Amino acid sequence: MAVVLLLVAGISFFFFRMGSILAYQWEWNRIPGYFMFKDSVTGDLRVNMLLSGFLTTIRLSVWATVLGFLLGTLSGILGAKGSFVQRFASRLYVETIRNIPSLVLVILFYYFVSSQFLDALRLDTWLRGQSDGFQQVTLFLMEGPDRINAFVSAAVALAIYEGAYISEIVRGGINAIPAGQWEAAWSVGLSRPRTFLRVILPQAFRRVAFPLAGQFISTIKDSAIVSVISIQELTFQGMELMAATFLTFEIWITITLLYFILTFSLSRTMALFEKRFSRQQ
Amino acid sequence: MKKRVYMLTIAMLLLLSSLAAAGETGAKLSRESIIEKIQKEGIIRVGMATFVPWAMKDKQGQLIGFEIDVARKLAQDMGVKIEFIPTAWSGIIPALLTGKFDVIIGGMGITPERNLKVNFTMPYDYSGMSMVAHQKKAAGFSSIGDFNKPAVIIAVRMGTTAEQAAKKFMPLAQFKLFENESQALQELNLGRVHAVVSSAPMPAFHALKYPDKLFVPLKENFTREPIGFAIQKGDFDALNYFNNWILNMHSQGFLKERKAYWFESKEWEPLVN
Repeated sequence: MAVVLLLVAGISFFFFRMGSILAYQWEWNRIPGYFMFKDSVTGDLRVNMLLSGFLTTIRLSVWATVLGFLLGTLSGILGAKGSFVQRFASRLYVETIRNIPSLVLVILFYYFVSSQFLDALRLDTWLRGQSDGFQQVTLFLMEGPDRINAFVSAAVALAIYEGAYISEIVRGGINAIPAGQWEAAWSVGLSRPRTFLRVILPQAFRRVAFPLAGQFISTIKDSAIVSVISIQELTFQGMELMAATFLTFEIWITITLLYFILTFSLSRTMALFEKRFSRQQ
Repeated sequence: MKKRVYMLTIAMLLLLSSLAAAGETGAKLSRESIIEKIQKEGIIRVGMATFVPWAMKDKQGQLIGFEIDVARKLAQDMGVKIEFIPTAWSGIIPALLTGKFDVIIGGMGITPERNLKVNFTMPYDYSGMSMVAHQKKAAGFSSIGDFNKPAVIIAVRMGTTAEQAAKKFMPLAQFKLFENESQALQELNLGRVHAVVSSAPMPAFHALKYPDKLFVPLKENFTREPIGFAIQKGDFDALNYFNNWILNMHSQGFLKERKAYWFESKEWEPLVN
């Protein structure tokens, strides 16, 4: 209770200072229109920049999480139980990525790697040739043809970045399974690959489920970085809006709240699962 | 063990050389003129960044502005569809060079430094640098000389011609660089800098918005800069096409009429606010 009171006091003091010393003209009434507005001709509700940016952030995070999970799991398994070359490759990947700032990685990837490989696939030209229905589905799941190249390159760059951390989590999980599990499985006649898939991996994932969930949540926050390569996610849309309207503080505060709502609700859900899960055990 | 390390080294070398080869094919592909590519695909991709009133989003999230009108007219005359790719200003030239879009129509000032990296068309517009200052911090300042002092701090948008002009005309002043205009102006509103330098007419508009806090110290713009489209080097078909299009638009009065609407009138204000 005291904490809440202190928080409220702090926030009101902030706004009081803003009002009196900085003479900032608050125009909160303009913000809702940047989420949705009523079309003046047809009367339909249409999505505006902030909401579309928010949705792009979610789509981007989901794709980066799925791809990063696959990549990280593969690398983690190779890093834990692979041959010398496989372990070397996994280490090389993890150490390279973890020792580059994410911002630098995203820029390098977008301007150099994706220009040579992803853009050469001509995804946008291909997508324009597809049926309208297919384009609608792609627009819902990813982006339209005008932004697909940049979107894919951002999702892959983020996935590579998150994958390195996921790799370490998975590797740790596998290594934490006691050798007795292996021996027990062999003694009942299971082959090596079978033991790994049926006995070791399920236990390893159960151990690392919550660190992994934490990593997924941080993917959402990390997705703000791709605003530097002009992906139209929440941060970029916010900055564009500020450049056009100069509603600096209103928009930054709105963006902060949106990210917070997304990550906080996810982490609460995870905590709920964790509670259930630990009771079962 | 040794053999494995050896194999790995070979594999890495192979990977690197394939990257280099990919770079070369990329360069070869871009030999085809973008004019042909635009015609073939039926779409022109235009790189731009938000600069009031060159290009900005209106209340409905639609792009409007002087550049947007110019680019739309260009697409219409070429008989193709248009896609705008909003890009962070600091990364706009690398994005053009790596083929993220076909042309920059974004109020880009033609400078010798930029011209070493990209080709410019003939100017379709001229802009000038202007300044908005804080009434308390810059009280009594009325010339460039008043601002050209070590104690003066000036905020500008990074990588713009405003940055160059400000550093050239006020070499003694200190500078704060920002990614966006809005951040520079916020700094000014907070009174942490003496002035913001930017392309006219934005400084004057901003001073009008906060009349009791800010003012325009210089009556005239202190530079005059040519503005052109930027395209990748080596594409002379495109350069020729765009140059002649601009020539036509000058003689038809289209550019002058659009300029009057966006820069001299404030009829468009209700679209944004």
